Amino acid sequence: MLKWSLKNLLAEPVRLLLSAAAVALSLMLVVFFSAVFEGESEQMVVYLEKMDADVWVMQKGVSNMHMATSMLWDWKADKIARLPGVENTAAILYFNGPVKIGGKDWFSYVIGLKPEMRRAGPWAMAEGAAFPGPGEAVIPEVIAKLTGVGLGDAITLVDRDLKVAGLSRETFSMSSALVFVSHEDLGRLLEGRDQYSYVMVYAKPDVPPAALATQIKAEIDKVNALPSAVFIENDRELALQMGSEIIQMMTLIGALLATVIIAFTAYTQVARKRRELAVIKALGFRPDQIYGAALFQSLTVIALALLLTFALSYTVLAALPALVPQINLAVRLRHFVSLVLLAVPMAILAALGAARTVQKVDPVTIFQD
Amino acid sequence: MPQRVLLQTRELSKTFGSGASEVRAVEGVNLSIFEGELVLIMGPSGSGKTTLLSMLGTLLRPSAGHILIDGEDMYALADAALAALRARKIGFVFQAFNLLEALNVEENILFPARLGILGRSEVKKRMEGLLAQLGLDKRRKVLPKTLSGGEKQRVAIARALINRPPIVLADEPTGNLDSRKGQDVLMILHDIARDAGCAVVVVTHDPRAEDVADRILWLEDGALHDRKQEDHAWVRDPVCGMRVDAWTASIKYENKGRTFVFCSERCRMRFQAEPVAFAIHRESEKG
Repeated sequence: MLKWSLKNLLAEPVRLLLSAAAVALSLMLVVFFSAVFEGESEQMVVYLEKMDADVWVMQKGVSNMHMATSMLWDWKADKIARLPGVENTAAILYFNGPVKIGGKDWFSYVIGLKPEMRRAGPWAMAEGAAFPGPGEAVIPEVIAKLTGVGLGDAITLVDRDLKVAGLSRETFSMSSALVFVSHEDLGRLLEGRDQYSYVMVYAKPDVPPAALATQIKAEIDKVNALPSAVFIENDRELALQMGSEIIQMMTLIGALLATVIIAFTAYTQVARKRRELAVIKALGFRPDQIYGAALFQSLTVIALALLLTFALSYTVLAALPALVPQINLAVRLRHFVSLVLLAVPMAILAALGAARTVQKVDPVTIFQD
Repeated sequence: MPQRVLLQTRELSKTFGSGASEVRAVEGVNLSIFEGELVLIMGPSGSGKTTLLSMLGTLLRPSAGHILIDGEDMYALADAALAALRARKIGFVFQAFNLLEALNVEENILFPARLGILGRSEVKKRMEGLLAQLGLDKRRKVLPKTLSGGEKQRVAIARALINRPPIVLADEPTGNLDSRKGQDVLMILHDIARDAGCAVVVVTHDPRAEDVADRILWLEDGALHDRKQEDHAWVRDPVCGMRVDAWTASIKYENKGRTFVFCSERCRMRFQAEPVAFAIHRESEKG
């Protein structure tokens, strides 16, 4: 029975491939959205990860960076630096909002740096200076490519024109870009030249980050201190919360589309073989055995589609960032595991229409010419 | 001589519709078919042959009456059990062959084997025997679309026999074959009854089948009658000149007190349009 089912599919390889390709495209949508979401989520915390701090200190009541505002007096940063267990610190002023580059507003994390806080600046450069002086900015290379802005061109941070001094790498995501300016410029804008937003704390060897965070909170008034892992997780969670509903919806749409295509394939296979189904029933096969064959066909189409999806994901999706630099894609094995898990209920659902047709086939029709 | 009754019906009836639109397709049919017997069921179009065959094949539940195979009442069984029993006890041969197009000859023959009771090696041996017996040895790996009509029907017969069913039901098995191949198929069916001891029931319009039949049953208006093989009343169609058995013919036309018999509706209509032109020269009336 399964051989009949498989051979019917293989008897028309073009039809089978087209069906599998259509399903694969739908599944690719699911993978694509998941990969974009994953890539964006990872990019949103890339600064926090690259800084490699042990503890992040911020204003009391704040526990993350994305879309947050935090202000700390500079003397608190100095006090933190002098605490036992602290190897050194790096403090930044931070603002999130639009930066006009090439005539377009780009939502950005703007990091204000003092000259002595170079380690809090960009970690990979494409061109120009890594550290912005007063009146200068370091912007992502991707934005420069997309807008045609280059070194020496002007950008606008709220009401202030700054000159592009450097182009950084790995600092762009569609939802936020990292723009580095001088502490002086950002301090003037925020009226906080004697303040910081976050202090990155690097612990002495053998000092656990959690213990150091507790110590900082105990000794410095009105601050929150979190081990880096907790701080990054808070930001990541926030990013996931913001995008997960959209991604779930996209996944659902992609899965439904794939299910409809498989259902159509399974149904047409069965509908075109009504006479053979009547023969099979007449020969003594039970309807459930024939449903099994229809389900097997659905599973075969979906298995082929999954293989195509894997292949396309690792070729097309891998090549996509080079063609569309603003996209951050992160294709993960668990995306495919989810697809495989999704495939079985999809195949069952898709086989229902075929099963109904099987049910309606009357074996007596074999006696008709 | 036939011994054991393999297939039996008791007051078998089938009614379609109800009230004013009720049609009694088969009415009170009593029938016993013995092992080793080849029985023809003949009758005019619309006489209920297909309905009767469908019920004998356990594909259609009767409105009343019983069908017994080897003494077991078929329609007392649930659908699943009925299907399982059908697979083991009944082999089907169809006018349109009804082979599975994606499977080759071997696979078509083996297709119902998994529903039978024979073991894998026995099935294999059985298939080899059938391929040799039916002259399909060299065609075992080809797809049905490359077979001739006669070959297709032989594959269908092999498929019907793979599970060693005691009963074979054939619906117009020669209907799509030329006369030589039709004759071959009839001889094969005859051998199945004689050599394998199967009860073979053939529904047909083909008068050549009468030569190989042990018994001929005539079905008309849903009721069954025995008919002797020599009961022919050969006349010629007044339009085309074809030989027609007036006893069994269903296409007739009364004209000026005479009954004319035709091979087809087309001939009857041509006759009706110009009865004088055809009636004068043809010796075609009966009655």
